[in-house]
Amino acid sequence: MTTEPGSGPAPGRRSFLRGLAVGGGVVAGGAAGAAGGYALRGGPDPAAAANAATVEGRLPAVPFHGEHQAAITRTPQAATAVVSFTATARDRAALKDLFQTVTDRARFLTAGGTPPPTGITGPPSDSGMLGPTVVPDGLTVTLGVGSTLFDDRYGLASARPARLTPMKSFANDDLDPSQTGGDLVLQCSAGHPDVVLHALRDIANHTRGGMQASWRIEGFTNPPRPAGTVPRNHFGFMDGISNPSVASARDMNSLVWVRPGTAGEPAWTSGGSYLVVRLIRQLTEFWDRIDVYEQQDIIGRYRDSGYPLDASSIDAVPDYAADATGDVIPMNAHMRLANPRTPESASSRILRRSWNYNRGLDDSGNLDVGLLFTCYQQDIGRQFETVQNRLENEPMIDYISPVGGGYFLALPGVRNASDFYGGALFA
Amino acid sequence: MRTKRLLTMVAAIAALATAMTACGGSPARTAATSIKITNASCGGHWQAPSPGWHTFEIKSGASAGAEIDLINPASGAIYAELEGDGPGTTVPMRVHLGSGKYAFLCMINEVDPFTGPTVTVSGHAKGAPGVLPVTYNDLIPVTKRDQKQTLSGIGTLAGETKTLASDVDGGNLAQAKKDWLTAHLQYESLGVAYTSFGTYDGEINGRADATGVSSPHWTGFYRLEYGLWHGQPASQLKTVANTLNTNVDQLRTWWQTQQIIPLDMVLRTHEILENALQFQLSGHDDYGSGTTIATTLANITATRDLLALLHPLLVTRYPGLPGVYSSLSRLRELLRKQHSPNGSWRPVSSLPSSTRQRIESACGQAVAALAPIATIAEPRNTAHDY
Repeated sequence: MTTEPGSGPAPGRRSFLRGLAVGGGVVAGGAAGAAGGYALRGGPDPAAAANAATVEGRLPAVPFHGEHQAAITRTPQAATAVVSFTATARDRAALKDLFQTVTDRARFLTAGGTPPPTGITGPPSDSGMLGPTVVPDGLTVTLGVGSTLFDDRYGLASARPARLTPMKSFANDDLDPSQTGGDLVLQCSAGHPDVVLHALRDIANHTRGGMQASWRIEGFTNPPRPAGTVPRNHFGFMDGISNPSVASARDMNSLVWVRPGTAGEPAWTSGGSYLVVRLIRQLTEFWDRIDVYEQQDIIGRYRDSGYPLDASSIDAVPDYAADATGDVIPMNAHMRLANPRTPESASSRILRRSWNYNRGLDDSGNLDVGLLFTCYQQDIGRQFETVQNRLENEPMIDYISPVGGGYFLALPGVRNASDFYGGALFA
Repeated sequence: MRTKRLLTMVAAIAALATAMTACGGSPARTAATSIKITNASCGGHWQAPSPGWHTFEIKSGASAGAEIDLINPASGAIYAELEGDGPGTTVPMRVHLGSGKYAFLCMINEVDPFTGPTVTVSGHAKGAPGVLPVTYNDLIPVTKRDQKQTLSGIGTLAGETKTLASDVDGGNLAQAKKDWLTAHLQYESLGVAYTSFGTYDGEINGRADATGVSSPHWTGFYRLEYGLWHGQPASQLKTVANTLNTNVDQLRTWWQTQQIIPLDMVLRTHEILENALQFQLSGHDDYGSGTTIATTLANITATRDLLALLHPLLVTRYPGLPGVYSSLSRLRELLRKQHSPNGSWRPVSSLPSSTRQRIESACGQAVAALAPIATIAEPRNTAHDY
C-alpha cells in the first residue's frame, strides 16, 4: 500500500473552467456531489516531488515561492520557451482566475509530482510527455504583463506599472507585428526541451478561454566550449560574460528590482522587474564571410578565448581609459558601446539572460537563427533603451536584424502557498 | 477516426506496464496493495487502508481480458477503471480514497461479471467522487431519438440540395450561391464527425486536400463552393450539383438502415467542435464563400442538439455542465458578431488577429469543457446490470 501523506486538494486542473461554471450560476447536484473537488482531488505530493528530483540526468526542483520570480537570478537553463499571449478572459474576475490557475500549475510543475488520475470523470489530467511522474528538472516559470493588459478591458488602467510601454522600434529594427508585444508573456526554462514543452502544454491546457498564444520562440544554451568557459552564440563568440552580480544586493536593488517606493510605481509592482525580450536574427551567412579580426573588432573580444582584446582572461575588465582612442578595442565595438564602464553608464547596466534560437529557414533558404535576448532591469528607459541608443550605429547592425519581442513587467514573486501571480494587483 | 476498443487493448496495456517497470515508473514508490483477479475472485479480502492516495496493483490471473472497476457497491458509482486489463499483467490503479465502502467489479470476457467483497475505509475524509456509469440502456433510447432527428434533418437537406441542383441546371448561379449556403449549413447542423455518415461524408462534404481542386474525384459541397466562387460556368457545375443531390438522397435511405453506436453519439459531443476548430475557424475549409464562421455556428447547433438529448444523463454526473453551456453561448455570441449588416459573413482570413484569438480561445474553452463528457457518458456495463 502506498499512502501519500500531505496530499491536499488538487492544484486545480480546470479550476479556470470550473470558475466559469460557477459563474454560470448553476449548481449541478447528483452523484458526483462536491463540485469543488471535482475530478482532481489530490495534488502533487511532496514525497513524489522529492523522489522525482533524483531521476537520473534531471535537475532538482527550483523553489517556486519567493520575493522574486526564481528564473531572474539564475543562469540561463539549457532549454527555454518564451510565449506571448493575448488575454481573452471576459472580465476582471476571469483574469484573476487566469492568474490563479497559472500560479497553481506553475507551483505543481516546478515541484514535480504524480498528476492525479481522473477516473472516469474526464481525459487524463496530464499529457504524459514526461511519463507517469512529472520531474521538475529545474523548471522555472516566469510570468510577465505587457502594457496592453492595462487598457480599458479589465479596469486596470490606474494600476499600470509606471515604466511599462509598448516596445519601441529602434533605428535598425525590422519588427514583425506578429511576433511583437502581448498582454502576457510566459517563459518556461528547464534542463531539457521536453520539460519546457510539457509545461507549456499543461499551462495552455488549463487556461483555455483565458488567454490565447500569439507568438512563441524556443531557445537553448550551448555547452561551454571549451569546458569551464561561457556558452557561445551563433557568431561563435561567448555571450553574457559581464553582468551585474546577482549575489550583490546593491546591484540587484539598484539595477534589477522594482522596489517599494520606486518613484511613481504602484505598490503592487514591488519585487517585480522589467523584462525586455528581443528576437534578434543573426545573419550568419554574411558573418561567416568576414575575417576574424573584423569580427573581433565588432565584438571587442577574442573569438577563441572570450578575453577582452586588451586582456588575458575572460573576467578581465577592459581598460578603456588606457585605450582612449580605441586602438585596441574600437570605440564602436559592441562591448564598449554597450557598457562603457564609466561612472555615468553604471546605472544603465542590465541583467542579461540570452539563449540562441534556431528555427528553420527563411524564404530564400538562409538559416533563420538568432539570439533570444532577454534582460531584466528597474527602468527600461534608463537602462535597456539607453544601452540600445548607444548601440544604434555599431558595426554589428549589418549582421543582425531585430525582428520581434516586447516590453513586460515580470511580476513580483509568488510569496507562499496562498499567494498568486499578481496577487497584490488584484487585492 | 476514433474507435473504442474495449477488450482489444490488452497488448498495448501490457506493453505500457512493461515499459513503466523497465524505466522505474513511479520512482522509489514502496509497496502498493496487490489485488489479484481470477475468474473466481475479484480482489479477495484486501485490507481497508486509511483515506488518501493509494495504488492498487491489479494482477490479473483471469482467463481473458477484463475490465476492472473500483466501485461504490451500494450505488454502482465508479471511482477508477482499468479497461482491457490483460491476463498475466500487473497494472497500477491509482485512486484517491475517501472514507466509505469500496469493492472491485470484475468484468472478464466470457465470464459473468461479479463484484468482490466490500471493504470499508474508515474515518471522515472526502475522496475523489465516483461517477455513476452511463449504461447502454440509458443511451439506446437517446441514440434512437438522435437518429430520428438526424433523419428529419437529412429530409430538409434533401429538399435544399434539390433546389440547389435546379439552380445550377437553370444557370442561375447567383441564386445557387445563396442556396448553397442554406444547404451547407443544414448539413453542418447535422453534426457529422469522422465516420458517422460512413463514406457519405467524404462524398457530400469532402475536402480537396488529397485530390487537389481540379480532380474529378472531388465532389460535394466544397467542390461546388469552389466552382461557384471561382467563376466556373454552370455547365461545369451541373454534374457536381446533381451528384451532391443524389448522394444526399442515398444518405437518407442508408441512414434508416443503420444501427447507430451509442458511443459515437457521445464522442461527437466534442468532436464536432474539434473539427470546427481545426478546419472552420482556421479557414482551412473556406473554398471561396468565406462562411466558415457560419459553419461553426451550425456546428454549435449540432452540439447543443446532442447535449439536449444527453442532458438528463449529464446533469447528475458532470458538475462542469453549466460551464459547457456558458462557453458555447460565449462562442456563439462572438461568432454572431461576424455577420455583416448586409447579411454576409466575414471570412476568418479577414478578421483582425485579436478577434480571431478571442474566437479561438472561446472555442478552445468550449471543447475543453465538452471533452469530459466523452469519458463520463461512455456506455459501460455495471454491477447492476446482472
